[in-house]
Amino acid sequence: MRGRFGFGAVLAALVCALFLAACGGDDDGGGGGGGAASSGGGGQEQTKGAKVIDPNSMNGAKGNVTYCTGKDTSGASHAWINAYNKKKTGVTVKIFEFPASADAQRQQFIQRQQAKSGECDVFSSDVIWTAEFASQKWLYDMTPYVAKRKSEFIQAPIQTVTYEGKQWGVPETTDAGFLYYNDEKIKSPPSTWQQVYQQAAQEGGIVYQGAAYEGLTCDFLELLFAAGGQVLNEDGSKAALNSPQSVKALQLMVDGIKNGAAPRAVTTYMEPESLAAWQTGKYAFMRNWPYAYALSQNDKGSKVKGKFQVTPQPSFEGGGKAGILGGHNSVISAFTDNPGAALAVVDYNTSLENNVRVGSKYSLAPVLNAAYDDAKVKKALPFSDELKQAVAQAKARPVSPVYPQISQAIYNNVNDALAGRQSPADAMKKANDAIDKALATF
Amino acid sequence: MAEATTSVTEAGPQQTQRRSKGLSERRLAFLMVSPSMVLIALVAAYPIGYGIWLSLHEYSVRVAGLSRWAGLRNYTTALGDSEWWAAFTHTMIFAASSVTLELLIGLGMAMAMHAAFKGQGLLRTTVLVPWAVLTVVTAVMWRTMFESPLGFVNTLLGTDTVWLGEEPYALIVIILADVWKTAPFMALLILAGLQVIPSEIYEAAKVDGATAWQRFTRITLPLLTPAILVALIFRTLDALRVFDLPFFLTNAKSGTSTLSTIAQETFASNRIYGLGSAMAVLTFLIVMAVSFIYIRTVGGNIRGLAED
Amino acid sequence: MAATTAEAPQAAAPRKKKGAGTAAVKTPWWLYVVVAAIVIFCLFPFYWMINISLKTGADLTNGSAYPPNPTLKNYQSVFQNGDFTRALLNSAVVSVVTTVAALTVGSFCAYALARLRFKGKFPILALVLSITTFPAIAIAAPLFRLWSDIGIFNTWIGLIIPNLTFALPLAIYILVSFFKEIPKDLEEAALVDGATYFQAFRKVVVPLAAPGLATAGILTFIGVWNEFLFAITLTSSPKARTVPAAIAFFTGSTQFERPLGTVSAASVIISIPLIFLVLFFQKRIVAGLTAGAVKG
Repeated sequence: MRGRFGFGAVLAALVCALFLAACGGDDDGGGGGGGAASSGGGGQEQTKGAKVIDPNSMNGAKGNVTYCTGKDTSGASHAWINAYNKKKTGVTVKIFEFPASADAQRQQFIQRQQAKSGECDVFSSDVIWTAEFASQKWLYDMTPYVAKRKSEFIQAPIQTVTYEGKQWGVPETTDAGFLYYNDEKIKSPPSTWQQVYQQAAQEGGIVYQGAAYEGLTCDFLELLFAAGGQVLNEDGSKAALNSPQSVKALQLMVDGIKNGAAPRAVTTYMEPESLAAWQTGKYAFMRNWPYAYALSQNDKGSKVKGKFQVTPQPSFEGGGKAGILGGHNSVISAFTDNPGAALAVVDYNTSLENNVRVGSKYSLAPVLNAAYDDAKVKKALPFSDELKQAVAQAKARPVSPVYPQISQAIYNNVNDALAGRQSPADAMKKANDAIDKALATF
Repeated sequence: MAEATTSVTEAGPQQTQRRSKGLSERRLAFLMVSPSMVLIALVAAYPIGYGIWLSLHEYSVRVAGLSRWAGLRNYTTALGDSEWWAAFTHTMIFAASSVTLELLIGLGMAMAMHAAFKGQGLLRTTVLVPWAVLTVVTAVMWRTMFESPLGFVNTLLGTDTVWLGEEPYALIVIILADVWKTAPFMALLILAGLQVIPSEIYEAAKVDGATAWQRFTRITLPLLTPAILVALIFRTLDALRVFDLPFFLTNAKSGTSTLSTIAQETFASNRIYGLGSAMAVLTFLIVMAVSFIYIRTVGGNIRGLAED
Repeated sequence: MAATTAEAPQAAAPRKKKGAGTAAVKTPWWLYVVVAAIVIFCLFPFYWMINISLKTGADLTNGSAYPPNPTLKNYQSVFQNGDFTRALLNSAVVSVVTTVAALTVGSFCAYALARLRFKGKFPILALVLSITTFPAIAIAAPLFRLWSDIGIFNTWIGLIIPNLTFALPLAIYILVSFFKEIPKDLEEAALVDGATYFQAFRKVVVPLAAPGLATAGILTFIGVWNEFLFAITLTSSPKARTVPAAIAFFTGSTQFERPLGTVSAASVIISIPLIFLVLFFQKRIVAGLTAGAVKG
């Protein structure tokens, strides 16, 4: 039939087009399988050839720099950028805000880096992304600059910018999770997590970050590490999540929801939602970062003003004390067209002057030792001792270029368990398998 | 139809005359059709081809720039991935539920719009509003209604369900949002079908003593079938590709991942280009299969358009 | 929602049939109820979004059906936000250019398919139709890599090209139906009078096809304006981001504000002109949507 013949011709043409397209398609990097580099900073292979920053390039630098960061909920970024621009050094900084969640910030940044776009000259990177970004050669090697100032910094944050023996950013702020408690309901802070949940069940409840995102990984790992569990084995080559300790830790969280100590809606809460719930004054406990301190005190409509205190995380019965090291580092994009100006901006952002500012006005934890001696910071951070202790007892999340997949394996399965979709034991087993798969990624 | 025959018979004697006035019909047709075909090859065929090429490779997530040939391994990975099948199931449930609901509600709306009464024009205008708003705006709307504590649904029903965060509810909200947006579209298509049914048929049936229900099932439904089928297929193909609503309402979490969202997440967020491309190609094949079945069986309206 | 239960029962349908065939009968009361239900169903979500857009601060979370302290602050901040006004420009440019290109190239193809005689019409039409059903994700992923390599990531042209993938076949499909409607006699007359095929096309068909072109143009324009997946994949900054992507990545007016208030305001702003556009051209739009569905 006429139609069929014509159809065949068109089909043939399409197939030829596809074939030609396929032949002309992209073909970067040779074939050669193998090469699954070990996780956790082994060797020098992945970051060889990355651009190295010249510390002198910031002298006399001029131009526009875009500082990309998550939504500036504390106000600190706008403050330092305004202060810097007022100095009229020849470099002007513009802020570009990404959505509040850490995952969204990462997606926004990596989209630009994969597109080789120099849109973000400087990015405020969460500490967990250093390995991934460095191994993809998306960042400038900042070792020469950091080497000159190393002794000024608290050591734990420096470790978060280190991968394959080099530094890939400069610490801006550090973070460790606190337990906030309403001191009208709770007279003295509990010493174990089990007690926290017991008291929460009677005194109004606990809120934390339970949505399926990075924040849940933090909250869960705080309990996991306190209970004595691990995510990866000693050399970081296999998952070690399927253990009695991890099931115990998760069971505590799941039971907390079942008996009403934590509201069911907590499975959709990120930091802003848990803070908003806490500010209504209904809950006895909140797990959140230090930034929430100033907001709980100063927000219009906060009903917990003056009625709360903070303490580092309690221990876990049968385990010990732990915490999760958070924080942000300033990283410079490898595709920026003005690294000198970018470095000048980073230099100011991580200076003592700014550390004191963010510490005293915005309750963000400084990374420079000298900042903690400043009177203004001591006054504004009445919890600076607790903070130092929290940072000291904090452990780092697994360092790996495939950390996002590892975190996903954890938070998806933990969220399923919290929502009652699977049992804690199943959740840990599934997460363990998913992590092994992630580690074996090509 | 009459015109077509006329032109055929008239073509004969005047054929030679026409040929001397500019290009022949076939050459002109070639010239007029080829720019479109070339453009389509460039913007549709080439990307699909490149996508297939990507899906046959593995691109290292750890080491920048490293890649290797994978053959069909990405496809077996995707087809063996429980999360991909979960996305597949969600998409099928979404498609089946939303298309069915849209059909029923659209049918009801069309019947109401067809009935003669004052203010009918206003009704038709109102019904176009959901169609006119952007899909993203639809998502915003429904989020403002269901996201506690901004929304009113929990207050209204006296529940405290976390609509956008719990497993069956999130998908239900997405289905409702899609039904809201598209039922009017279905209503319009069905209304067009209703309007070509001559009222004499109903008159005759009433004279013969048919009840309202019999008139509906024996006259209306059969005559509406072509219009309903077209609407059904277009909506099904759209539903299989759904992306905007789950992305914005729930970020594709809580049991609302779809074929498109999981491919996008794998590609853009997890940076597993090979697997993501394979998932995208699988989605493409599924949609094309349905499309092909449609053209083969119901291709009626293309046949009509293709007639000389 | 209440509306779903009101609409579903088909038992109501046959009774409406009575009204359909006999315009002289007085409209039954329940028909008004049904109509009211439909109006509420269609308009209520829109009302709720406006409600949210007029609230700020603590009001946002009180779930009330009307804003206790209505304020235009959200709207103000949307307009002051240079990124949103830029997004409007981006959407306008991408939509207009895509529509014009699709109509120009597509009308030639549609005319040939509708009028001229040649082999292979069915497969071409089948190809055109099937491309309108491509899943965008199948194209977005490869294009992201391609555009990054050749440097048109985050540009207007980077968005126009993939939008053409869907706009061109859609335009062709709609235009073929409309061109077929135009009586052949007028062309025949022109040809008899000595015009070439192309002259006949230009002087006779195009003016008559104006309504069809307008319809295809409007549907294409709205379709491109609405496009989301390419917008979020192939753009990253206000430089080229279109409105749907801008709305999706709104971070909120002040630091403490939940973004949803401002997002609602932006959504209302973008919807009003579109609704007017649709209402003004509703006859054309309905004709275009039903093209080929009932005829042919």
